[in-house]
Amino acid sequence: MKRRIEIGLLYSRSGTYSLISEACRSGALAAMAMVNADPRLDVCLVPVERDPGGNVDLYGPLCGEILRDTGARHVVGCVTSWSRKEVIPTVEKFGGTLWYTVPYEGFEASDHVVYTHACPNQHLLPLLDWAMASRGRRAFLAASNYIWGWELNRLARETVTAAGGEVLGERYLPMGSVDVERMIAEVRFSRPDFILNSLIGPSSYAFMAAYRALGREDAHFRPERCPVLSCNMTECEFPALGENADGLVAAGPYFRGVPGWPGAGSFGSSHEASAFAAVRELARLLAHRPGAELASLTELLAGDTSRPGLIDPETHHTTLPVIIAEARGGAFHVLQHLGQVAGDPYLTRSRPAGAARPNLRIVS
Amino acid sequence: MRRPIRTQNLGGARALILHRPHPTVQALARQLTAIGLDVEQVWSELPPAALGADFLFFDADMGHAGQFPWPEGEPPMPMIALVGSEAPGRIEWTLKAGAHAHLLKPVGDNGAYSALLIARAAFDAERALAAEVADLRHRLDERRTVVLAVARLAERGRSQAEAYAQLRQMAMAWRITFEEAAARIVGDSDHPEDGHDRRGRG
Repeated sequence: MKRRIEIGLLYSRSGTYSLISEACRSGALAAMAMVNADPRLDVCLVPVERDPGGNVDLYGPLCGEILRDTGARHVVGCVTSWSRKEVIPTVEKFGGTLWYTVPYEGFEASDHVVYTHACPNQHLLPLLDWAMASRGRRAFLAASNYIWGWELNRLARETVTAAGGEVLGERYLPMGSVDVERMIAEVRFSRPDFILNSLIGPSSYAFMAAYRALGREDAHFRPERCPVLSCNMTECEFPALGENADGLVAAGPYFRGVPGWPGAGSFGSSHEASAFAAVRELARLLAHRPGAELASLTELLAGDTSRPGLIDPETHHTTLPVIIAEARGGAFHVLQHLGQVAGDPYLTRSRPAGAARPNLRIVS
Repeated sequence: MRRPIRTQNLGGARALILHRPHPTVQALARQLTAIGLDVEQVWSELPPAALGADFLFFDADMGHAGQFPWPEGEPPMPMIALVGSEAPGRIEWTLKAGAHAHLLKPVGDNGAYSALLIARAAFDAERALAAEVADLRHRLDERRTVVLAVARLAERGRSQAEAYAQLRQMAMAWRITFEEAAARIVGDSDHPEDGHDRRGRG
């Protein structure tokens, strides 16, 4: 007899980042279907969905609705850091848990959040290592004007500068803006070795299109000479990018077709894979423990006898593969596989930022 | 006004929590452990090892003078007050104790990281300012020496402006402060030659 357990889903199915939401949502739903069909697990997960429609002010209230009006204690959801910050006070108030399944900027370890995608020591720092070793140390930083872009750029500046490199420009666009002309003009003028693209949604799509056009005019701006880097671009946004994705170098825990990800599935993107892994781990923690559906995250983890689980009980982050891959012809191709790396949200456990060594040159 | 904050070296830093056992201590210790610090709770006396801590969180409600083994208001590490009662008397005591930042009780899910960074920046600024004030105070104290040194150099037919310039040049040549150079000149009162000549002979 399966225990029926409601699980909240809080994804925006419209708005600027809906492609990412949809990828996460389908990963979560696929995991629920798999859990429900598994006779060895005594739980049946029932989604309780709310759709904030890309409006950041609706996340807190809708999350509150799930936790107050339904039996769900766990909510899988949120894409932007902004919406996550809006939801945290609510999960804290109701003693619930948010399962956050997209890459983010780190420097957080809430008692009420599980972080199942990459943080900077799993995306930005290895990506900068790769770029500085293979392309050069002169960076241009382009980002959307909110916490994800600000913090990634701060860390990138610190890392590049510590490695003896230089930041030639740092520019921001309001969320949703496609006004990339000035940014592209500055890139053209400054001629960096690589561009870190932390723009999101339509801003990023417009930038990639304009950069591809620039590459046709000036060979310096072709991917083999000056690539665009991203810590959050996955296959789920290819439909919006088309061939403009070609040459983009991304860091992530999974790319389509790369083996080694837990679970049977072949996922469309790391967003999908990460949400899938989150729900599967939640099901594992709830299974065969009647009443566990009412436990707090801390109690749930403390009572897990089959350590080590997916989640680090101290930081609530996860150990993930770190892969650097290049987009080509509608797929990512692996450039580097750096093995399994534990999430280190405050960069206090692993390497310091800026640990990338400058390439030493012999001067005669 | 300030340099970029230091975020990279909190790993393995030692934090002491001077507070009786309490859910606030648990919540704070959880946050600090997640950030990567080693945490120890003590009450009500600070052990001698406290001097080696990198951060001290202290109870502003039950705390009292004499709990800290250092001169009042001169802690050797950043101090963060855990404030429950916002009564002015307690806030006054907290400031006297030398708090660099504070967290309101009950401590919940967040706040520790910003308190650490703010307290450390305030502590660093306080240290730098104290060193600068001590230096300026020393130079003020040496005004009389400078006047004497200029007068002595001027005794040999130079104008006061020339004597002043000469003293400055000596300080630069010897790579010492203006005041230290003046002290040398004045200390040389038993010798007829000035420092420059003596140096030339030596």
